[in-house]
Amino acid sequence: MNEHPITLHVMDDLRRSRLTVFFRYLLYIPHGIWLELWGIAVILVAVLNWLVALVIGRPAAPFQRFNAAYLRYWTTVYAFLMLVANPFPGFTGEPGSYPVELVVPTVPEKQNRLKTFFRMFLALPTVVVLYVVLVPAMLICYPLLSFSWWASLITGRMPRGFRDLGANAIRYGAQVAGYALLVTGTYPCSSPYVGMALGVPVIDAAPAVAETPPAAAEKPTAPEAPEAPSEA
Amino acid sequence: MSKSSRRLLGLLVFGALAAAWLYAASRLWRTSVPDDLKLPKVDVGAIVGLSELHRAQHFSFVLDLFGLAGLLLPLIVLAFYAKWGHRFIGESAAGPIGTGMLLAMLGIAILWIAMLPSQLGALWWLRRYGIEKTGYVEMVVGTWSALGFEFLGICLTILIVMGFARLLGNNWWLAGAPIFVGIAILVTFVQPYAFNQPLEGHAALLQAEQRLAQREGVKAVPLRQINVSATTTAPNAMAMGLGPSRRIGLFDTILDGRFSEPELEVVVAHELAHHKHNDLWKGIGWYALFAFPIAFVIAQVTKRRGGMMVPLAVPLFLFVYVALPTLTLPIDNAFSRRLEAEADWTALQATNNPQAAKALFVSFVRTTNENPNPPFWDPILFGSHPTEAQRIGMVEAWQAQNGG
Repeated sequence: MNEHPITLHVMDDLRRSRLTVFFRYLLYIPHGIWLELWGIAVILVAVLNWLVALVIGRPAAPFQRFNAAYLRYWTTVYAFLMLVANPFPGFTGEPGSYPVELVVPTVPEKQNRLKTFFRMFLALPTVVVLYVVLVPAMLICYPLLSFSWWASLITGRMPRGFRDLGANAIRYGAQVAGYALLVTGTYPCSSPYVGMALGVPVIDAAPAVAETPPAAAEKPTAPEAPEAPSEA
Repeated sequence: MSKSSRRLLGLLVFGALAAAWLYAASRLWRTSVPDDLKLPKVDVGAIVGLSELHRAQHFSFVLDLFGLAGLLLPLIVLAFYAKWGHRFIGESAAGPIGTGMLLAMLGIAILWIAMLPSQLGALWWLRRYGIEKTGYVEMVVGTWSALGFEFLGICLTILIVMGFARLLGNNWWLAGAPIFVGIAILVTFVQPYAFNQPLEGHAALLQAEQRLAQREGVKAVPLRQINVSATTTAPNAMAMGLGPSRRIGLFDTILDGRFSEPELEVVVAHELAHHKHNDLWKGIGWYALFAFPIAFVIAQVTKRRGGMMVPLAVPLFLFVYVALPTLTLPIDNAFSRRLEAEADWTALQATNNPQAAKALFVSFVRTTNENPNPPFWDPILFGSHPTEAQRIGMVEAWQAQNGG
């Protein structure tokens, strides 16, 4: 099984621009500020959304779309910062605009009110796991003084193992945030094979990513031969 | 309306705008320094000492070379970037404005790389003369980090310019220029709050400020100490802020005992004079006078690349954005020198102590190693203040007028 409503699709070709790698941390700054501002709005929306979900048994559709866009944007920004992808991301979280893309349900699903009420507490263990996953990934993938930064700067390519490690941390972070923000009621899964689609473009992935054969995943736009995440 | 009538109307509007521009510029240009004031020729060598003079000349000559590199290199680098910078569009997955931001940031990043050798050279020279204390690695890391602020500034600029361009087309400059003036006002107003350390241990100077403010007919403003002695020995002071945020900032390098109390009073009187004459507002007014025509020219030039609606125009925008202020530098410096000369004159009136003023300007030569009598082109390109020879000359002219 590698199905999860929140799935990360990685269509990155491992090529890196040395110039943008060298200045990656500084290029991230405008996105970092925008992400923080958007994050403040997300916190306000999360409280309202939680109340709505308790009353009607599912999140409000506009809030769902808003949170989904934020999660997509968050994913692209961290993919850029952690050298998981090369291009400079957009500021709107538009789907289909980035080689590392998060597929998030935009239609709200019915959720158990009791689980919704205790959502923050239920999410706590995943936050702990997130740090266990994220910290090593950040040490390896963050710009400046990290292995992948030097490797990308010198060779102009991101080592695939580092890239996948970073992508997995982002994928898990997005699942945790999605769960906490009521975007989905499905619990995050720390397994690197769940909710991860390496080399599978979003358009080909639905509905069951797990059943996509590796050969079919190869697209002319993705020079990297994907290492398919086979069944766990 | 016929074509010729439209042309006539356009000419009339342009003529009216040009007349208003010239009138505003002439108002800002005026100072209270007597028009008939003739500065005597000063034998600087006799005043500061020949060996000091030669040292300052040698120091300034080499520093000017680095300064020239600092003026010309950005033009050369950005001219190349204007031609080939569009190749980086492929590095962006963002929309037009996001891509424009990336291109602008990359242009500045490339400029930083190109400027690094000359900046390191200038630092080496300043360290050699004991003016700078910053280490080379510290300088590289520091300027690299400071790029973050430059990136933010250019992203905001691109956001404003491209945002308005997408709304108003090539008339974006009509809305963009006032926004930039507004930002300049905001930054000038807020800047003093970054320096909040009150001046301590200088009770006599604080008292003197009250007295000098009364004499100049201006409200006394809080004095602030700005700590820079960890990185430089160069003395400096500045008037900051607008309205309630008005302050005088004194670098701790001017308070370290190398300058006497009467000399410091001249410094404070000079900075108070800037507040008295509303020089910070005048500076903003001057900036506004150029912001509109510069924005207009940028809008016209970038039309060649499709206008500021598209990221393709951003590298060219960056070149013009840097080149035009470089072209106006001589007139900007001349304007600044007039304001500084007026502040010197007012300080002389307020302190009534020409000996202290002269001693201060001589001390500036000794502590900054600046050539007191540089070649003619030096003040045109780099002189925001009158030369020390001119400042000493003004003291002597004041003495001749007032019998000091």
